[in-house]
Amino acid sequence: MSAVDALDERGRRALETLCLRLADDEFVLAERYTEWQVRAPSLESDLALSNIAQDELGHARLWYDVLAELGHDERELVYERAPDEWRHSTLAELPFAEGDWADAIVRSYLYDVAEEIRLSALEDSSYPTIADRVGKIQGEEGYHLEHAQNWMERLARDEGHERLQEAVDRLFPHALTLFEPCAPPRGAEDASGDEPRAAAVEDDIVELGLRDSTLAEMGEQWLSTVVPYLESLELTVPASGDDEEGYAVTDEMLPDQRGRDGNHTDAWFELHEEFTHTYRDLGREQATRIMDPPE
Amino acid sequence: MTTEHDGQDAVDDWDYDDVYDPNEDEPYTSYEGALCSYTEYREGPPVEDLPATGDGAEGIEADVWEALYGIDDPEMPISIVDLGLIYDVAVDDAVARVDMTLTYSGCPAREMLLGQVERDVTAIDGVDEVELRLVWSPEWSLELVTDRGKADLKEFGLSV
Repeated sequence: MSAVDALDERGRRALETLCLRLADDEFVLAERYTEWQVRAPSLESDLALSNIAQDELGHARLWYDVLAELGHDERELVYERAPDEWRHSTLAELPFAEGDWADAIVRSYLYDVAEEIRLSALEDSSYPTIADRVGKIQGEEGYHLEHAQNWMERLARDEGHERLQEAVDRLFPHALTLFEPCAPPRGAEDASGDEPRAAAVEDDIVELGLRDSTLAEMGEQWLSTVVPYLESLELTVPASGDDEEGYAVTDEMLPDQRGRDGNHTDAWFELHEEFTHTYRDLGREQATRIMDPPE
Repeated sequence: MTTEHDGQDAVDDWDYDDVYDPNEDEPYTSYEGALCSYTEYREGPPVEDLPATGDGAEGIEADVWEALYGIDDPEMPISIVDLGLIYDVAVDDAVARVDMTLTYSGCPAREMLLGQVERDVTAIDGVDEVELRLVWSPEWSLELVTDRGKADLKEFGLSV
């Protein structure tokens, strides 16, 4: 008996919800990163960010593979899913202003700290297919944070500081949606207003041991890493959730669109239109083969 | 031919309309988990058993290894077996199970390599079906390249 067969309906729903948020974050962020290809400030930074994008696409794929065990198909998930069925954080989808390299760097920093935290919370996942791929992803992630921090520290020194601050102001609330519960898709509509259902599925994710930390714990850990770091660069954090009780993500710190419920910013619908355009235009049902396989 | 990695056969009745609604189902209670704690679900051999090279394989299994040795990495003149990508081969009742990994999660040659393994192994006399499992644990590393593979890479101009 395989692990997927051992799950009951609730377990399957929890697994699906967890992997969708993981995969969609990676895919959409990679999609945005690729916009820097041949446009980054130097050849080296161009190659670095392109490579990070390729890593994230590879990781999206590893999570879509887990969803395949539940009967999903990668092609359908990427190209045939309605945009409001996507469950990524709005941090991943926001557009870059032209030439705003500081945005790419801040975004990468905020995201990669969160990714490091969530991967360690998946290391001992009760679901073997998850646990078996975490090490691979971690092995490929180490450089991402190093790259982001290296750039953060260089930009913070001079005129880049102001750009970093603007990016922090804009991106920080959206980064907090990384720790919001995720409402399972309902079909062709977003699931806003479905918070109790999202909370119940999120509880299942932790109770089943699919992930061993709660979103609140990870959010707190993220804030306690990110806030002091940004402050060490003399950047001001909009709302750190830091009070005498410690760090915590609270509702008023969050943006209107949180992504996890399928409620996204307008920029997402444009991006989705763009990356599915060729697929739809060609009416493709499967990837083109250049030649038939040899007999 | 079926393969596990595309998950086509996994679950038929799983779609978005089938929504779990805590208000309709039994009242929400915490539960221990649906996975059986006595079953070993994890895949992939211990790293000390790798690289797997098919030494001592017999019959159809030996034929499968031979076919796999015939497949080269698309970027370097080295067999995927010598590169250490194959973790296990087992043939049972004309079904060949191959466990393999890739060096990199974002490998652009993924479909190409998996397709080639499926085709070449299916072509073997006595194999009706290939069950190809893409596994990620243990992670591939240079340690898994065989001595012959290292010699091939050296010949190609790579130091390992």
